[in-house]
Amino acid sequence: MARYEVALDWVGGPSRTIDVDENETVLEASQRTGRSLPYGCRTGACGTCVGRLLAIDGTAADDDARDEEPTNVADAFAYRRTPKALKSRHRDDGYVLLCIAAPRTDCRIAVGSRVQAELVDNPWK
Amino acid sequence: MSDVNTPSDGEPDQDHDHAHHDHDHEGPGYATPQAAIEEGGREELAYVMSLYVGTDVDAPDFVAVVDLDPDSDTHGEILDQVELPNRGDELHHFGWNACSSSCHVEGLERRHLIVPGQRSSRIHVIDAKDRRNPELVEVIEPEEVFEHDLSAPHTVHCIPDGEILISMLGDADGELPGGFLELNDDFEIEGRWEPPGEVEMNYDYWYQPRHNVMVSSEWAAPKTYYPGFDIEDVEAGNYGQKIHFWDWEEGTVEQTIDLGEEGMIPLEVRFLHTPESTHGFVGAALSSNIFHFWWDDEGDEYRAEKVIDFESREHDDWDMPVPALPTDILISMDDRYLFGSNWLHGEVWMYDVSDPANPRRADSLSVGGTFGEVQEVQGRELAAGPQMIQLSLDGERLYWTTSLFSSWDNQFYPEEGERGSVMLKADVDPRKGTLELDEDFLVDWGECPAGPARAHEIRWPDGDCTSDVWQ
Repeated sequence: MARYEVALDWVGGPSRTIDVDENETVLEASQRTGRSLPYGCRTGACGTCVGRLLAIDGTAADDDARDEEPTNVADAFAYRRTPKALKSRHRDDGYVLLCIAAPRTDCRIAVGSRVQAELVDNPWK
Repeated sequence: MSDVNTPSDGEPDQDHDHAHHDHDHEGPGYATPQAAIEEGGREELAYVMSLYVGTDVDAPDFVAVVDLDPDSDTHGEILDQVELPNRGDELHHFGWNACSSSCHVEGLERRHLIVPGQRSSRIHVIDAKDRRNPELVEVIEPEEVFEHDLSAPHTVHCIPDGEILISMLGDADGELPGGFLELNDDFEIEGRWEPPGEVEMNYDYWYQPRHNVMVSSEWAAPKTYYPGFDIEDVEAGNYGQKIHFWDWEEGTVEQTIDLGEEGMIPLEVRFLHTPESTHGFVGAALSSNIFHFWWDDEGDEYRAEKVIDFESREHDDWDMPVPALPTDILISMDDRYLFGSNWLHGEVWMYDVSDPANPRRADSLSVGGTFGEVQEVQGRELAAGPQMIQLSLDGERLYWTTSLFSSWDNQFYPEEGERGSVMLKADVDPRKGTLELDEDFLVDWGECPAGPARAHEIRWPDGDCTSDVWQ
């Protein structure tokens, strides 16, 4: 079974790298290894576990690059189910639901509750 | 106008199985709403939904037991935390296994709290026989709920004979339609209560057994509201604006009222407490309106009319006028006042609804939120506006917490997750119709051992203004 190195960068917090099996979701692996990511429904409907893909397979992780050319989530993860909580604009921007996503390559992801808060703006402000 | 309507034809059967127990009160609860006021006593404890979902705190949500006894050394403190076995639930609304509507069922006790996880779809049962030290006794796992093609449990009410009904906002995939899940008195899933497809959207509900009627409201599909509020979803018609009137015994929708553009996102829905009444109110959060509904004898149908408007307000730092967002309402046990919270503006308010068709503004309190005049209590900065409210049975104390929903909090009040919620209180003078903030009272979820937590719905151990129904 293939295993991949997934680097988790908490926004405003620590970073750590975990090994994730190809049949395992990033959330499951994070729980197995001690410090869990935020999550809610575990079915891809709620978006609490959302991360933002920063880099794939050793390419330089460059947060500034995301506005220019978002990394393609489909190159990095296989979904167990449809990610209902993400709109197409979110998918295009590199957001990935870690409760239903299993890795297909080494990668680096921004994680934590602040990533969820990026999904929608306050429309009145 | 009389408050007592006796609709005909498929509606309320006045003889509906209550005559024999009107004066023969054997089961849980109080014989009448007035008996609850007289016999209930002052609230000494509150159960409050408390949550870590939506933060980086690696801990499960919990039910807080809060000391409200002013003579206690621990007044205003969290006495106990009933921790749940899993993370990720998002505790939201909850209810009792039995209420005053079961007053004829000998041997049944108002003892178990049914505590759903809004995000996880997991349903917990907590035994609160020891009111100060409740214990988790049963867990219904999400997979069992999904088998009935339902998810996102919301409002819990007992069904008068010991069974429990839970409104469910989505299907197993977090899409529409929602429906209702029924539990039996052993807290096992009995099945889907309503014929599937009776409604698309679901949210809160309330019932009047004497009139064989239930009313339900609409939020949206879980996948729509879970991640946060997206204005695109409003434009796409993904949020609700209808209320549904059901045949309570058959579980079928008899009438749907579209509240229109001024009825966007109708959330909390309440009938008056007196079991004779067919009047009620629903708050439309997004359009900031309150609707009155009632059975129209002549038209032989329910009708709804907007009776309160909250105007949007300009804010120097916001691009668009800020809507009030009235997210919770409740009716005092004597049916005299309607209370509510404007979460974005930062306001609690009370209207005299002695004439429910013509509410009269009695008072309001500007606290927290975007415009609140009071922005800190006891030096504790408030992170958000008043949200879930609960009123003492005698109508003299109004309490509230400040979290709406973790992802919506993060969008509108990001400090809520960092500082945690508070529970505040106002003293109410029902005779004069006034509200006054009690600055001596503050419960702070910012100081919880695992980290700042949010606080949502509030319940009293022996029934309250938002859970008790009478037959």
